[in-house]
Amino acid sequence: MNRLGRPLFLAAALLIGSPPEVQADTARGERVFQRCYACHSVKPEESNLPGPNLGGVFGRRAGSLPGFDFSPAMIEAGLRRHIVWTRKTLDAFLADPAGLVPGTTMAMPGLSKAEERRDLIDYLEKATKAARVAPGKSRERVTR
Amino acid sequence: MRRPRVHLVLLVVFFLLGFPAGAGAQVSTQAYSLPSGGGHPHDVAVGRDGIVWYTAQGDGKLGRLDPTTGKVDLLSLGIGASPHGVIVGPDGAPWVTEGGTNSIVRVDPQTRQVKSWPLPEARGYVNLNTLTFDKRGRVWFTGQNGVYGRLDPRTGEMQVWDAPRGRGPYGIATTPDGAVYYASLAGSHIARVDLDTGAATVIEPPTKGQGARRVWSDSQGRIWVSEWNSGNVSAFDPRSNSWKTWKLPGDKPRTYAVYVDERDMVWLSDWGANAMVRFDPATEKFEVFPSDRPGANVRQILGRPGEVWAPESGTSRLVVYRVK
Repeated sequence: MNRLGRPLFLAAALLIGSPPEVQADTARGERVFQRCYACHSVKPEESNLPGPNLGGVFGRRAGSLPGFDFSPAMIEAGLRRHIVWTRKTLDAFLADPAGLVPGTTMAMPGLSKAEERRDLIDYLEKATKAARVAPGKSRERVTR
Repeated sequence: MRRPRVHLVLLVVFFLLGFPAGAGAQVSTQAYSLPSGGGHPHDVAVGRDGIVWYTAQGDGKLGRLDPTTGKVDLLSLGIGASPHGVIVGPDGAPWVTEGGTNSIVRVDPQTRQVKSWPLPEARGYVNLNTLTFDKRGRVWFTGQNGVYGRLDPRTGEMQVWDAPRGRGPYGIATTPDGAVYYASLAGSHIARVDLDTGAATVIEPPTKGQGARRVWSDSQGRIWVSEWNSGNVSAFDPRSNSWKTWKLPGDKPRTYAVYVDERDMVWLSDWGANAMVRFDPATEKFEVFPSDRPGANVRQILGRPGEVWAPESGTSRLVVYRVK
């Protein structure tokens, strides 16, 4: 961005953007997402990672992203337990992945702090709405 | 500094496995349940003195187990700590990749004093993973968000490099002749590091998208690789620049950790089978040692002669496989 464009962009963002507290939460959430970044992406073009692409994750049935090699446990969580990713289910999963989905191969042990989970979910909600991964483009499984 | 918390292991399970181990050897296992507030071990390391150190990532602690008494001490690594890897250095001290504070940490085994070397602030959070010493007393480490680095503890000099293909650097190990290799999980390759310049040379395993997670060397300097995505174990021989690959047994193996013992037997953890697996390169045969509990989730393996230690992160236990 050129020297003139950057301040204009910032001014426009302040005028039309979210309330400051929401901005702060998503900024913090983006930092929390750095713990997930090695295996997950919210960018549709980054679909060849160990974890499923998170584009469009809200409202999606667990273990259902086409083309991704989910664990049997995650597939069962979606098919038999009807887990759909919402703020509530994501919060439970992020708090204790193996607790919500025993047998999951997502190796991240969980985020114990509720505020970190909230910030991360705020960020994901904002970042993944615009980024829905194309079916069949995501591969392999989630881990840390 | 806060006094370390001391716990007695609540339950010690001992059982003998009837598996006919290689060369007629018998394998017995002993499991140590870990206390709350210091459970779910991620990585483990055993020193020459037999003391076992482990990272309790979720609790921000470093654990110390004395296997002869079962006593566990928990050492706080500070506010926000989230330790991932631990090794015992040539100085006999535990060295830790402390992801929460983005630092390399040494804990004095006698005084329990914690010394930290933070990564340069400009690097940001790198998701520190694993570390190894070279033969010159320097620590090499990986950061899963796409870096690897080197620390000279004598001078405090630290250098951090961008990994050649971005995110993914995971396990790292040193060969008997001092070469350093790391594995890239997201990048599906291993890399050899130039000890002088720091440059990393990518080496591609034969299986595409295999998910090379951890590496370890045998006595001949061959690099053994646990392939998470493919469920393989593979070996790279730098002398001939060649690879060999084997699929682990079972329907859907997921090979997480690898360690080569003093007999050049290759130990692996398989999340698909919920088991430890031993591979004999001479006979190319696998032996499977299922955990006695579901969801063991062994993320790393280390040992000393006669002992192979497996942290069961899912059951909050440290399990030792003793080979006679």
